[in-house]
Amino acid sequence: MKPSILFILLLLLLPVSVAIQDLLPSLPPSQERIQLLPVLFCFGALALPLVPALYFGLAAGVVQGLALLQSQSGQAELGLCLPILFFLGWAIILQMASEATRGMRWELHSLGSALTTLSLIGGEFLVLCLKRGGLPIDETVMLRIAAPSAAALLISPILYFSLRSLVPFSLDTPTPKKQLSFDR
Amino acid sequence: MKKVQIAALILLAVVAVGFCTLGSESLANLQSYLLGILSPISRSGSAVKSSIGNLGKDLMSLDQLELEYNRLLSENRQLRAENNGLRDLQRDNDHLRQVLGYRERSSFRLIPAAVLGSDSGAWWSTIKISRGSRDGIAPDMPVITDRGLVGKTTAVSNDLSEVMLVTDENCKVAAKVEGTKEQGICAGSRASTGELQLAFLSKLADLQPGQKVYTAGVSGGVFPSGIALGTVKSFHARELDGEAILEPAADLGSLEEVFVVTGAK
Repeated sequence: MKPSILFILLLLLLPVSVAIQDLLPSLPPSQERIQLLPVLFCFGALALPLVPALYFGLAAGVVQGLALLQSQSGQAELGLCLPILFFLGWAIILQMASEATRGMRWELHSLGSALTTLSLIGGEFLVLCLKRGGLPIDETVMLRIAAPSAAALLISPILYFSLRSLVPFSLDTPTPKKQLSFDR
Repeated sequence: MKKVQIAALILLAVVAVGFCTLGSESLANLQSYLLGILSPISRSGSAVKSSIGNLGKDLMSLDQLELEYNRLLSENRQLRAENNGLRDLQRDNDHLRQVLGYRERSSFRLIPAAVLGSDSGAWWSTIKISRGSRDGIAPDMPVITDRGLVGKTTAVSNDLSEVMLVTDENCKVAAKVEGTKEQGICAGSRASTGELQLAFLSKLADLQPGQKVYTAGVSGGVFPSGIALGTVKSFHARELDGEAILEPAADLGSLEEVFVVTGAK
C-alpha cells in the first residue's frame, strides 16, 4: 500500500478510535479507561514517512483536543495547542526511534504506545493542576495514569499485527543503511 | 531535504499555529463538527454493544434455566426458554412504563435520550447522549433520571450531545440538605471515584449518614431547585468549613436512559 493511502486510512481511523474507546467499559478498580488513540497514533508515527507522520500527529492532536474540550462559561478550559505540540513532539521522537532501530518493530510500537499514553494522561493531569490549582496525587490518580498505559502496552500488538499488512514493504523491513534523515 | 518537503513542513507549521490560535467559539463549533462525525459510529457501536450485552444475558439465563431444570424436574427446557424470553420482555416493559410514568408526572418538560457511551478521558466525567440541537437541546441544560440529577449538557451537535456528569470536578451545583438549613456547593473530584463532595457547609453542621441532598436552585443557575442530588455518606469539619461526602442519587455507572430538562411545564 502506498504511504499516501495508508495516511488517509489512518486519518479516517482516528475518529473511529475515539468512538470505540468511548464505548469500551472501564477497568477495575477505579474506573480507569482504555485509550486507543495514542496506540493508533504511535502506529502512524512509526509507519509513515516523516512529513506525513507530522501531519498525522497534528490530526491526532486536534482530535484528542476536541474530544476532551470542556467549556466553562463559554471559555474553553484547554485549547488545541498543547495536544498538538504533544503529538508533534512524539511523532518526531518515534520517527527517530524507528530510524535508530532500523525499521518498524512491534516492540517499539508497544513501548511507544505505553509511553505516549503515560505522558498524555500524566500531562493532562499536570495541566489541569496548573489551571485549577492543587496537586491531589493519591493512589487513584496513580492508577488512573498507570492502568491505561499498561493496557496500551498489552493491546498495541493486536493493532500492530492487524494493520501491519497495510504498511509499505520497504518501511516494514529493517534496512542496515538507513540513516536519520527526512527522506524515507 | 526536498523543496516540496520544506514547503509541506512550513504549511504544517502554519496550520498548527492556526489551530492553536482558535477562539473558544470556533473550538466549540469544531467540537460540534467532531461530534457529528462521531455520531453514526457511536450509535452503531452502542447498538452492537447492546446486542452483545443481551447475548451475554441470554447465555446467563440459559445457565440459570439449566440449574432450574435440575431442581424442578417437572418442567421441560423449551418451556423454560420461552418463559425466560417473556420475563425479559416483561422487565423491559416494566422499565419503560416506569420511565414513561416519571416523564408524565414530572413538573419539567423532559426530552428522553439514550446514553451512547462515556468519555474515555481520565480526568473528565462525561457521557454522550442520542439527542442534539435538532431535538431542542442546547448547552447548559440539566440532565436527570427518575432517581436524581445526572449533570448538564455541554457540547451539542445536530443529533448528539455531551453531558458533564455531576461527578466531574467542573460541574458545581448549589445544594441544600434535607431537614436542615445547610447549603453548600457540590462537585466531583479530579480523579472521580463516583462520589460527590459537598463543601462550604457550617463546621458545626449536624449531618447524619442517609440524609438526602437536593439542588438549591440558585437564581440564574443551570439546575432547578428540588432535584435529588445524593445522600450523605459522611461529614467532617475542616479548618474553615464542613464537608460532606455524598453518594449520587442517580446510578451514574449504569445509565441507559436520561431526560434533558428543557424548561418547566
